[in-house]
Amino acid sequence: MTRRLRAAAAILAAIAATRPAAFAQVKNPDTFIYATIGEVDSLDPAWSYDSRSHHILRNVYELLVQFKGTSLIEFEPLLAAQIPSTSNGLISKDGLTYTFPIRKGVVFHDGTPLVPEDVKYSFIRYMLQDRAGGPSSLLLDPILGINATRDKDGKPIPDLFQRADKAITVAGDKVSIKLARPYSPFLGILASHGEIISKSWCVKNGCWDGTEATWMQHNNPQKQSSYLLEHVNGTGPYALDRWDRKNKEVVLRRNDKYWRKPPALKTIVIRSVEEFATRKLMLQAGDADTTYVPIGNFPQVQDMKDVKIYDRLSKLETPIGIAFTFKLNTIANPYLGSGKLDGDGIPPEFFSDKDIRLGFARSMDHETYVKDILRGKGSPTRGLIQKGMLGYNADGANVTFSPEKATEHFKKAWGGKVWEKGFQFTMVYNDTQPNVQAMFQMIKKNVEALNPKFKIDIRTVQWPTYLDQGHSHKLPMFLAMWSADFPDPHNMVFPYYHTHGDWAFRQNYSNPKLDKMIEDAIVILDPEKRDKAYREIQRVGFEEMPQMLIADRFRFRIERDWVKGWIFRKVEPDAPYGDYYYDLSKEAK
Amino acid sequence: MIKFFAKRLAMLPLVMAGVTILLFTLLQFLSPEMRAALYVKDPRQLSALEQVIQKYHLRDPMPVQYWVWLKQVLPIGAPADGKGFPLQFKTPDLGYSETAKMPVFEAIQSFFPATLELTLMAFIPIMAFGIWFGTLSAVHKDKFVDHLSRFIAITGYSLPSFVLGLLLLMIFYGKLQYFPPGRYSLDIDMLVHDAAKFNHYTGFLLLDSLLNRNLAVFWDVLKHLILPGVTLMYISVALLVRITRSSMLEELSKDYVRTARAKGLPERVVVGKHARRNALIPVVTLSSLLFVRLLGGVVITETVFDYPGIGRWGVNAAQQLDVPGVLGSALLSAMLFVVANMISDIVYAVVDPRIRVQ
Repeated sequence: MTRRLRAAAAILAAIAATRPAAFAQVKNPDTFIYATIGEVDSLDPAWSYDSRSHHILRNVYELLVQFKGTSLIEFEPLLAAQIPSTSNGLISKDGLTYTFPIRKGVVFHDGTPLVPEDVKYSFIRYMLQDRAGGPSSLLLDPILGINATRDKDGKPIPDLFQRADKAITVAGDKVSIKLARPYSPFLGILASHGEIISKSWCVKNGCWDGTEATWMQHNNPQKQSSYLLEHVNGTGPYALDRWDRKNKEVVLRRNDKYWRKPPALKTIVIRSVEEFATRKLMLQAGDADTTYVPIGNFPQVQDMKDVKIYDRLSKLETPIGIAFTFKLNTIANPYLGSGKLDGDGIPPEFFSDKDIRLGFARSMDHETYVKDILRGKGSPTRGLIQKGMLGYNADGANVTFSPEKATEHFKKAWGGKVWEKGFQFTMVYNDTQPNVQAMFQMIKKNVEALNPKFKIDIRTVQWPTYLDQGHSHKLPMFLAMWSADFPDPHNMVFPYYHTHGDWAFRQNYSNPKLDKMIEDAIVILDPEKRDKAYREIQRVGFEEMPQMLIADRFRFRIERDWVKGWIFRKVEPDAPYGDYYYDLSKEAK
Repeated sequence: MIKFFAKRLAMLPLVMAGVTILLFTLLQFLSPEMRAALYVKDPRQLSALEQVIQKYHLRDPMPVQYWVWLKQVLPIGAPADGKGFPLQFKTPDLGYSETAKMPVFEAIQSFFPATLELTLMAFIPIMAFGIWFGTLSAVHKDKFVDHLSRFIAITGYSLPSFVLGLLLLMIFYGKLQYFPPGRYSLDIDMLVHDAAKFNHYTGFLLLDSLLNRNLAVFWDVLKHLILPGVTLMYISVALLVRITRSSMLEELSKDYVRTARAKGLPERVVVGKHARRNALIPVVTLSSLLFVRLLGGVVITETVFDYPGIGRWGVNAAQQLDVPGVLGSALLSAMLFVVANMISDIVYAVVDPRIRVQ
């Protein structure tokens, strides 16, 4: 027995010896660890349009310009050597041509020097790749004056390469971009999108060769077909070390050849840890420097030691809303039940009836949602456009919770058949959003209480599946929120109400009247007139209600107190959690 | 004995064929279009559905479809270029898993070693402790040890694994900083991904670290296995303790035990050599089931401890309607079940010679 006791004591001593010393000092001083949820979709700048992927791109690739600190109106040059303005002559007097002198002495991660031709190639590829539901319209709209590269039959428009080639020209060390029409938020777009990639590296690895003859073969490609899906060669302060799909982590390493002073942190680890309790313990132990905390878990971290909390942050984003798909894809769609209005399913065009949409909107208890689910970190919304921007309407209309009105609408829908036969379908949400689950359950409870023949199932899927199924129009009702690509009201209304907007595309929603209003508003230069135009767009959008808007919400960020340098960039893709890591360092208190 | 093993081995392909037919039949409940759509992830390619249906013979009778599928899945087949031996080894094509973002076979290869490592980490102590403690509580019936075993059994049964896991994590990671979650620490993460410094010979990190003669990796990986291993052990050992106890009690009351004691044999020999050997038959049955259950049921433990194993992948695949992923993990589970049963049959024969004779 004594021998066993001795052995046990020896094991305990060995374990105790391996216990890390309490960290009065900074833990992993050269490494920043962000424990988050969800997965990266793609690292191809012309494909990626989700915040998780885009936040990685922000650190490995670079743009021509970026917002200066927390400002949304001031810019600083990155790969451009100067910020164009009318006063320095780099923006033409008619506001159509922007000229960017390209910075010299910048090299890509593989050592290739940056040349103006890379900028031209990157922008044209960004526009002409135009995958369905992707980000290409952000540059297509201002530069070519179109929102898609394909016609109504889905065929690529033949002369687009020539038009793009003519619009973007290289002369010496300068790149000039001629816009289709004056477009005031253009620099704001370039401060968020249009990452510069190396043409020679791309072509060498089987991407588009940059010629007119082949661009159509690379238009709307399959995700897997792009070399850039998981390979990176940018000029950013960090290079991709690995995207480990098995461990669900992305590791970035410092770019020591960076053209500015190299970043303070040597390694960045972005790790997906699905369980909140584990993420919280990692933060507590110093094994994560920041982590995503769902609103419902805020009380568990608010008094945590050795952390800083930045609270009530208003990100540049639209309110939480729920989108309805007007024409659902029926092929292999598990969410429609029988696919007919027979009480066991819904027909593909179920939500095209406005009374159905209003019935659901009237079944949502906005105030309870803000109070109980958002824990007060929000307020009932007044429209898509946020306070402080042109078009914001403090008196904007919104529906209120009313089971009586909801009943009226459901009774009228589909000529009374809905009320008579009932329906059954599935609402889908991304599995890492417990507050959305609560919201969906609230709707389910309220709607099912109206008529016993109304049945709603709720299902959770992971982020990439959610994206894929949304793009293929398979989700009947789903969460719609929009983090702004650039600070302009156009970017708030376009995704929701324009035929080529990201949400409208997923919803198969199209309204020519709203399309025209949005296209007209972007070219208005007079702020007062623009303000009025965007108020009107919101009014018409509210009447149509392709989405029901629920609440504006506040964000918060928690980080270890040894993290220094974080600033709240309102349009950063994954703000306020994922960062532009160049800003950060770790130092003892 | 060899004949006995050979018979059992010969049964293996037949059982596997039965399992695959069953799985394949289940797939037939989906329409050809729905199954074809699983191969077409891009909405603009939905018009290619008919080509996929034809390629995989999805409208053909089920036996034809099964044969086409089997040719894909079997690790042997005709060479692609028609040259050389008529049958050659090949990588089984189980399709592409969207949840794992890699081919199903590759996903199994990469996730399974981690889970097997974790399962063995729990299973070996479960067997040792369960049999020892079950025997002890039977020998000391209604004494303190027996009451303690009952307490362990009740708490083990009733404590959900995520509660126990989080509790252990809070104490031993949150407070004491001994055992962190994940599969390895940050510095080891960097090291094992450095091809110049670490070779992945088997995918089993404990083994690979020894083959690389890197004790730092071995110790770090072991440390990361302790808490999930203890969690699995605690929730699973209870059953084994109780079964061993009741089986031992039954054996101890038999005449041959009384005779052995009357002969003057030491109690250690009576209990350890005579009674326990006979009491092990139900324990062996249970242990094979327990092993398979551990392999398939580690999902919650893997999630709580952020451990990248096959359980988490299988559940994700099911949640996301990733049919190739679900089929792959179901096939693996079925295969493990069959193999575990075969091993338990063999162990029966070792424990009880009468089974060999029969």
